[in-house]
Amino acid sequence: MRLLLVEDDRLLADGLSSQLEKLGFSVDIASTAHDGIVLGEQESYRACILDLGLPDGSGLDVLRRWRGSNIGFPVLILTARGDWQEKVNGLKAGADDYLTKPFQAEELIARLHAIIRRSEGRMVDIVKAGYFELDQSRQTLKANDGQEHSLTGTEFRLLRCLMGRPGHVFSKEQLMEQLYNLNDNPSENVIEAYIRRLRKLVGTDTIKTRRGQGYMFDARD
Amino acid sequence: MPVTKRPSSVRGMLLLLLLPAGVALMALAWFIHGTLLERMSREFVESRLKEEVAFLEHRIRESGGAIDSLDAGDYFQEVFHHAFAIASPSQQMVSPESWAPLLKPLFASDKQGGVNIHDASVPEAPPWILAYRRSFMIDGVMIVVIVAENMESLQQSQETLHTWTAVVSVLLMVLLVGSLWIGVTLALRPVEALQSALNRLQSGQISRIDATGPDEFRPLVGQLNQLLDSLEHRLKRSRNALTNLSHSVKTPIAAVRQILQDTGRPLDQELRQAIVSRLDDIDKQLEAKLRRSKFAGAHVGQSAYPVKLARDLLWMLGRLHSEKSFELATNLAEERCWPIDEQDLNEVLGNLLDNAGKWSSRCVELLLEECRDQMIIVVGDDGPGVAGEALKTLGKRGLRLDEQAPGHGLGLAIVFEIVQRYGGEVRCGLGRSGGLTVTVQVPFPNQILSTNKWHDR
Repeated sequence: MRLLLVEDDRLLADGLSSQLEKLGFSVDIASTAHDGIVLGEQESYRACILDLGLPDGSGLDVLRRWRGSNIGFPVLILTARGDWQEKVNGLKAGADDYLTKPFQAEELIARLHAIIRRSEGRMVDIVKAGYFELDQSRQTLKANDGQEHSLTGTEFRLLRCLMGRPGHVFSKEQLMEQLYNLNDNPSENVIEAYIRRLRKLVGTDTIKTRRGQGYMFDARD
Repeated sequence: MPVTKRPSSVRGMLLLLLLPAGVALMALAWFIHGTLLERMSREFVESRLKEEVAFLEHRIRESGGAIDSLDAGDYFQEVFHHAFAIASPSQQMVSPESWAPLLKPLFASDKQGGVNIHDASVPEAPPWILAYRRSFMIDGVMIVVIVAENMESLQQSQETLHTWTAVVSVLLMVLLVGSLWIGVTLALRPVEALQSALNRLQSGQISRIDATGPDEFRPLVGQLNQLLDSLEHRLKRSRNALTNLSHSVKTPIAAVRQILQDTGRPLDQELRQAIVSRLDDIDKQLEAKLRRSKFAGAHVGQSAYPVKLARDLLWMLGRLHSEKSFELATNLAEERCWPIDEQDLNEVLGNLLDNAGKWSSRCVELLLEECRDQMIIVVGDDGPGVAGEALKTLGKRGLRLDEQAPGHGLGLAIVFEIVQRYGGEVRCGLGRSGGLTVTVQVPFPNQILSTNKWHDR
């Protein structure tokens, strides 16, 4: 399995690559953002370990470049900072997981296997309805203005349900099956609250209420 | 077009506005005074001339239209000090004689009432006179009577009066400017006091500003003092943290160095383990101290969007634990701001949600709400929960952040520490589904500021 390691600390990179090679990976090392971008674009890797603090740029920019040119291998980012905003930014840029330095090699290898396993059989998986695109692997909604909205689990499942069959009326009971929460007997108000939130994203007219029957995704332009 | 620069001082601005306004109003008053004076004197003169004409008419009627009988020489002039002219078809009479060129043309006109005559070409006659002309019939004979007054001399005295008014106005204006100056200076004296207090503060003579002065400045002084408090507090804290850090990091460094420099000693497995554990110590210390020093704590001028931050974190954790559902319940608007430092709020939400995500079996729920004077964060999961006794000690005081074992307690200890700095509280309990529920309540800062408990400990 070919693996790309983008890390500027020579000692860390060599140590990691020798450990990974023992596990059967074949590792390419890039020590600058530029080399990383070029290698990632030219070669075909199974996965990548990407350090965010590189001498000639941010690892996030490298990641955005790859994702921008539809390079989809799973990426594990390494960061020394460990604040939540950086982790969120990393995942938004297209990373699959993060690890804070310093880390134990076993932890890194476990995470690496996890993201490789998750990415298996993963394809670009997008549900389209009207102007809207629902990215199933990233759990995001792209609106007609090109803006990407991140969704919570239930929001995503409800939208997948509605957008999967535009024009079909779903009853509240049907939609309630998509609901996960801590309350054992969720009331119908919960569904209404979620519908209100989704309408904020897609527009009030796009999700129509059929009185006494339920809701319908109206994909007409 | 160059824009003139507005003065940056309050005094300059007040004087710039008030002085020209004072001058302009004074000038306007003087101008109005002049106009009214002229109009009044003209009306007064005209009414007197009218009375004299009426008197003359009366006399002429008494004498049956005989103008000759009026030829009493200087009688009228002596009585009235006015020039006059009388004309009948047979006779014309002008007194004094020198005004004749001015008055005679009026006989032919058919105007009644006051007429202004400006003519500087006649010697010995004044250049400006006001004449009052009246014609009437006596026994079928048309008589014209004109009485005239020299306006020149009147004008002169009027001008003298007007000039005096100007002098008095200028004096008044000087007084006005003076009183404005004094008023502005007196009103701004507290600012100077504040300025000098700031100077003394800068030079280290005082450590806080006295909160005396007008009501307008009291909140400002209060805020400034609070800012100074928090600055001092923070400096102390970061100094302490750095001192502690160097103490706790240098020893393991020295130990590791000792081992590595000892060339005679083989690097066996046991020694490697020792080095790794020392390095782990250093990392743990660094992590804890750096995290603490990153917390902002309550201070002025900070804000964060709780809903936006929560959504990002929920989405991220949903990506990392794709088999679990991370849900948000809130009535807050997307653009609602909380007066908490963004990184602090992120740290609180992130640690609570991360913890819940690790222990939950399939669902984590975050509730954000406000009730009157408090911001409330509730994180619940459907995991195994925590046993009764352990619940009480979870992340509690006494267990300092750097004494917590990494893993379960560390995240909660961070949350406790941050929330404490904002004067809030954290409660742990068990939810209906048996999982752990953590409730964070943070008061809005004006409540904290008023009770003056806003800095930690």
